[in-house]
Amino acid sequence: MIVKKGSFVIEGLENVQINIGKVGADEEQIAEGPTPRPEIISLRNWDYRILDRYAPVYTPTSDLCDYCTYGKCDLTGNKEGACGIDLEGQSARQALMTSVMGSACHTAHGRHLLNYLIKKYGEDHQIDVGPSNLKAPLTETIMGIQPQTIGDFLPVLDYVEEQLTQLIAAANTGQEGAARDFESKALHAGMLDLLGMEVADIIQISCLGLPKSDEKTPMAEIGMGILDPKKPVVICVGHNIAAPAYILDYMDGNGLFDKIEIAGLCCTAHDMTRYNKASKIIGSMSKELKYIRSGIPDVLVTDEQCVRADILKEAQKLHIPVIATNEKITYGLPDRSNDSVDAIIDDLVSGKQAGVLLLDFEKIGELVPKLAMKIGPIRKAKGITALPDEEEFKKLVAKCTKCLQCTRDCPQGLPIADAMVAAVNGDLAPFEILHDKCVGCGRCDYSCPVDIPVLNVIEKAAQRVIREEKGKVRIGRGQIGDPEIREEGRNLVLGTTPGVLAFVGCGNYPDGTKDVYDIVEEMIQRSYIIISSGCAAMDIGMYKDKEGKTLYERYPGRFIKGNLLNTGSCVSNAHIAATTIKVASIFAGRKTKGNWEEIADYVLNRVGAVGIAWGAYSQKAFAIGTGCNRLGIPVVVGPHGTKYRRAFIGKPYRKEDWNVMDGRDGSVVNVEPAPEHLMITAETKDEVMPLLAKLCFRPSDNSLGRAIKLTHYIELCEKYLKKMPDDWHVYVRSEADLPVAKREQLLKLLEEKGWKIDWEKKKITEGPLRKVDVSFQPTNVPRLCKEAKK
Amino acid sequence: MTKKEHVKPVEKTGAKTIEKPVAKPQEKQESIDTTRQAVPFNTGNIPGPKTARAVMPAVSGKMLAKAKRPLLIVGSEVHDKDVLARAVAIGKTGVQIAAVGNAYKSLGDKGLDVHYMNMHALATYLCDPNWKGLDGKGNYDLAVFFGITYYYMSQAISALKNFSNIKVISIDKYYHPNADMSFGNLKKDVFIAALDEVIAQLTKTG
Repeated sequence: MIVKKGSFVIEGLENVQINIGKVGADEEQIAEGPTPRPEIISLRNWDYRILDRYAPVYTPTSDLCDYCTYGKCDLTGNKEGACGIDLEGQSARQALMTSVMGSACHTAHGRHLLNYLIKKYGEDHQIDVGPSNLKAPLTETIMGIQPQTIGDFLPVLDYVEEQLTQLIAAANTGQEGAARDFESKALHAGMLDLLGMEVADIIQISCLGLPKSDEKTPMAEIGMGILDPKKPVVICVGHNIAAPAYILDYMDGNGLFDKIEIAGLCCTAHDMTRYNKASKIIGSMSKELKYIRSGIPDVLVTDEQCVRADILKEAQKLHIPVIATNEKITYGLPDRSNDSVDAIIDDLVSGKQAGVLLLDFEKIGELVPKLAMKIGPIRKAKGITALPDEEEFKKLVAKCTKCLQCTRDCPQGLPIADAMVAAVNGDLAPFEILHDKCVGCGRCDYSCPVDIPVLNVIEKAAQRVIREEKGKVRIGRGQIGDPEIREEGRNLVLGTTPGVLAFVGCGNYPDGTKDVYDIVEEMIQRSYIIISSGCAAMDIGMYKDKEGKTLYERYPGRFIKGNLLNTGSCVSNAHIAATTIKVASIFAGRKTKGNWEEIADYVLNRVGAVGIAWGAYSQKAFAIGTGCNRLGIPVVVGPHGTKYRRAFIGKPYRKEDWNVMDGRDGSVVNVEPAPEHLMITAETKDEVMPLLAKLCFRPSDNSLGRAIKLTHYIELCEKYLKKMPDDWHVYVRSEADLPVAKREQLLKLLEEKGWKIDWEKKKITEGPLRKVDVSFQPTNVPRLCKEAKK
Repeated sequence: MTKKEHVKPVEKTGAKTIEKPVAKPQEKQESIDTTRQAVPFNTGNIPGPKTARAVMPAVSGKMLAKAKRPLLIVGSEVHDKDVLARAVAIGKTGVQIAAVGNAYKSLGDKGLDVHYMNMHALATYLCDPNWKGLDGKGNYDLAVFFGITYYYMSQAISALKNFSNIKVISIDKYYHPNADMSFGNLKKDVFIAALDEVIAQLTKTG
């Protein structure tokens, strides 16, 4: 028996009691790098290296600061406010606060789960994430420890919580003042976010039987049209699996899956399917209000994150009881945790209470299915829905004065009035198109001067497409296993797999969910590895090809080129970032424990991974992106991402920004701008595809890899922007870097640019920025050079 | 702004407030009024105390004509044939064009001095006095734009407004508070007519 913690007495030595608190560090727990448990300035030098090359760009949404009672202060033109902060500093402070907010959200989620799971399974419950020695790459790299049990994560979350407190303190008036250091702190918060997410997902995988690095998880149904509305319907909204797991267990134990429909909205849906494959997915947060207003749900269960603030108000109108199950979202509801299930059900069915706060998971598990069975038939008999009937619909669309106020309030600026006009003439097609582009926020309802419930009208008009909205998503697999990294790591670092593209984040797309499908389809056909998570992973599965197959059905889920992976919910984003650490560790043998800077430096210079959050809306998405940036992973967001107010954009024309050292001797090498940006936006899908290809370039690419990457960059530019990229030649180091099929043509173009070509040998003799050197060890960290080590 | 007396009273909503003047005297029909409805097109897009001056097309046109090194920026809403024709017409006068988003695919074959650029990166570089421009000849003194996703451009030019000395003029269909000068919110026909007046100033001066 191994006792890690507690007290025991040895037989025969009854007078001696042995107490074990924390087991001392064994060999595996010894940090290998210089920064285990980094404090808020421990990695500042690394941050400065990033910020020197990718200077923060600020696009303020407000020129004012109103954080303290000195203000409001007008900071227009980068003026200083009363406290001395200028607009640059204020914008950076907002970046810090946004990053902290997102990080706190994921970490609090992890803390809630950890406390619950330790209570249920004990601290000594073993971590099991699948076939991996590197079980918790972010924990190892940041904390310098290798956790074995879920209890080992207690000090990890203690650390994150303490650091977040330090960081938010820096945002108080009269504290930090330099934009550069606000940004360093924002990067720290982003890194902590990755750590908090890793804890949350590893413990739920380990304790709740979620898939463990399984490349062949089954498919889950997704869409607004998948449920049978004749049955009682339970919809769980949010991100935290704890409460829904009890509901699923109760339904399983009582054979209720045939009698009740149960599905999730947003990331809870992912984790419900990971927990029990009988569960289904409605979709992202964009579907939340629309689905509630359809009247189909009979019970709404909320946990945390991405739950609409008006969910109780909306549900109450349709007599849908709301069961709030998490302390962070309580809506002023009465806490009925100590009451009997039957008494609560009576009050909810009678309408005496619109909802309850219920923190007892056992009761939630029992109450929700029973409540659905009781209230479902009553609601369905009444035919309760917020949607207008045919006659009402005609009257409503005829009321439209085409004032465009709805368009002005719509986040996407949708041409709603045009669709109203078409509907008056019996043409619903424009509304059906709008349905996909609409993010379901409901701002249009408030803006209409003649009180048309615009969102309901859109949904009513789009009933045909909603009924057909039935897709498939491969259930979230969790981590990428070590064997897959061993197989693919070399291709990634040499560039022969053109890149890893991580489609993450939310549904605030600039032009509808179809864009995500289109982008993924194009890039996967080009052999990029596509990893997805969260709402993006859902939306990828919403469309089918001519043969009726979704992308998940067309492409397998292994971590190799041309595959499509879904890691799971938001917190599984940690595994995507951690994959790059695994590449550094498993393929390149880099030490991980307490060694963030070296790992991030490796990722930045050698691993062609790019994150794309095309519909990012939340603080959490910003924190994830910022954490990836600190790990050396570039991130692209959609045009709404400019409202995050800060980006990290490289300046390729500043040659001095692109100096790196050769790790072999410390010599300085001026390299091509690769990756060119760390965080940037794009306006359209046409623009983003070549950008993604370009951001996969790394200084370490070998010639074959560079030629492959260059092929895709050029072809995507030609296909979507109708031009050769202006800077393609910058990435050419020798004729071997040129795509074989176009080599002659490209050599001619290079000659026109003034490069010298030996046509007999078909070789470039003069022109490139640098030569290919297969042994080149690019690094931005002086201490990692051999000379420095001596 | 004396023309206001000839305009229908403003009502709450966007379209009604940008209607053409009624009973307009004959002699004043030459120029359309682009200064009406100078309120942010996205209702919540209120940046602070400094917002764009609403101007007539002739003012924008003259500014563009007189600029030493102007740059026209157009984006993904340039593909409409009427709008595209105006972008081409301005480009034909010799103004260099930054085609952001996917605008290049409609502009690339028109024989213009046009360059693809990412808008977010362009805003960054315009804030850098040491940037040599799209053609290597130096940074710009005036950025004029239209045909770009509204909220995207509004955010991008907030960088220029606060962190650069470059003048920014919107000749877009929408009022852009973060520009130095802007048209108000316009109906399409008024917008096209306004662009024609800008072009007329360019050809007159050129």
